[in-house]
Amino acid sequence: MAEERDLKQVLSRIKYTDDAKVQEQIVDQLLQVKTRMGRIKRKILVMSGKGGVGKSMVTVNLALAFARVGHTVGLLDIDLNGPCVPAMLGLKGQRFTLTGDGALPPVGPLGIKVASMEFLLQPDAPVRWKGPMELSPVWLGLQEMSVIREFLADIAWGELDYLFTDLPPGAAADKPPVMAGYLPELDGAVIVTIPSEVATQVVKKSISYARDVGIKVLGLIENMSGTVCQRCGAEEPLFSGDAERIARDMDVPFLGRVPFDRALGGAADRGEPLLDPDQPSVRHFAQIAERLTQALEFKKMMASLL
Amino acid sequence: MKFVCRKCETFMLFEKLESPAEASLGITFECPECGARFSMVTNPGETSMVQALGVKLGGRTAPAGPMELTRETLKEPNVDEAVTAQGSGKSASGGAGGGSCPFSSMISGMQQPARQLEWSREALERMEKVPSFVKPMLQTSVEAYAKKNGITLITPAVMEASKHAETDMAWAPEAEQRLDNIPSFVRPMARKEIERMARDRGLTTVTTALMDEAKEKFMSMGI
Repeated sequence: MAEERDLKQVLSRIKYTDDAKVQEQIVDQLLQVKTRMGRIKRKILVMSGKGGVGKSMVTVNLALAFARVGHTVGLLDIDLNGPCVPAMLGLKGQRFTLTGDGALPPVGPLGIKVASMEFLLQPDAPVRWKGPMELSPVWLGLQEMSVIREFLADIAWGELDYLFTDLPPGAAADKPPVMAGYLPELDGAVIVTIPSEVATQVVKKSISYARDVGIKVLGLIENMSGTVCQRCGAEEPLFSGDAERIARDMDVPFLGRVPFDRALGGAADRGEPLLDPDQPSVRHFAQIAERLTQALEFKKMMASLL
Repeated sequence: MKFVCRKCETFMLFEKLESPAEASLGITFECPECGARFSMVTNPGETSMVQALGVKLGGRTAPAGPMELTRETLKEPNVDEAVTAQGSGKSASGGAGGGSCPFSSMISGMQQPARQLEWSREALERMEKVPSFVKPMLQTSVEAYAKKNGITLITPAVMEASKHAETDMAWAPEAEQRLDNIPSFVRPMARKEIERMARDRGLTTVTTALMDEAKEKFMSMGI
């Protein structure tokens, strides 16, 4: 029997080959994401530090604001466990159409293309995976990362001017780095908050976290910034904080405020979003969209104004 | 991951893939020289972990369908089976029967040449706590800072200093004045961009000359 040699020596003499082609498979996956996303001009994340600040509502209305002025818009809902975008846009019960070119997304108001986990779930069923969810949170993280990758690679968006991605809540969740990893050409993130002291403290963490993972913060939106009296029309604050101050402190563009609007909430609950440009909330979102466009094109602005 | 026949000094080859129990895999390898065989058996957790990567064990023999992993891993998917049967235009790697190892990227990663800069044990430990997606970016940024400052050993103190390196930038009053031409709500972004340019050029003060350069740069970008 030949003398057994040191493993390091043995390995130096034999040629390593990736015959399982795992690397190629992973490269293929990433190329597919790149090809699909390459047809989309602007890719924007919508995130928040805390849950319950109306992030999905803001995402939906931001998408509508851009679609209203003639842009082609897609909306990707990657709140995998609590998807609510389809319901807000009246697309509950819809499904993807699977074709040889990918999964065709259902189309909502103003031609907005929507992709959501909701379209793969049975009515009212939560996400239940076949894997060892109870055994391994590590597995669950990996699984969700692959699901997001499939949403980016396999949805047949076609050519789009804007793709808005609604992230699940959380200042330090794993989804922003996943998105940044898959989309190096990401334009940036819009951060949504409410003016409560507690929320504004958390939003600072969100901004720092986004920057830490290499995501440009395009701006801050203050949602539920006040309420309008149904009788006299006077606007009253709901909270005592001030998101604009946070934006200033953190060197982030302040994109605008959206007062709490029962009409807007009711419309989302019914799945019939407000489309009339004269509605006050619609006007707020139109202004925010205009500022967001300027924030996206600030280099152009620098070329002409510096 | 690969297996080596120590006697013959060669990699063993993939022979077959079996499923000895539900959610368990048996992967058999054979030495091409002496014919020695053995089987590696995975438990359900290990099997799921590999499958969650969206990688096919032994290589793909057909392109993946749209949302394949998501649909196949959901317990109760709401999809129309008739349409899922359609093919996909996606590219795929691996040929029929090709491949022996789902973990090969790990070994090839280990064979990458070592970086020139040295990291202290404490710095490496600190880096280990960072999410995996952030690591490459953080590593690049810390190493760029170290190289720029002639540092060869990266310690936690160097990592900390690299974080704060971006904030120490002075502005000449005329440059500051020109920045005021930018609408206030996007001014912070403009400031950051110009400071980034200054740092790239090794400057510690933003001057009007740099502002001219920035303006020219953005104009030439044709944006």
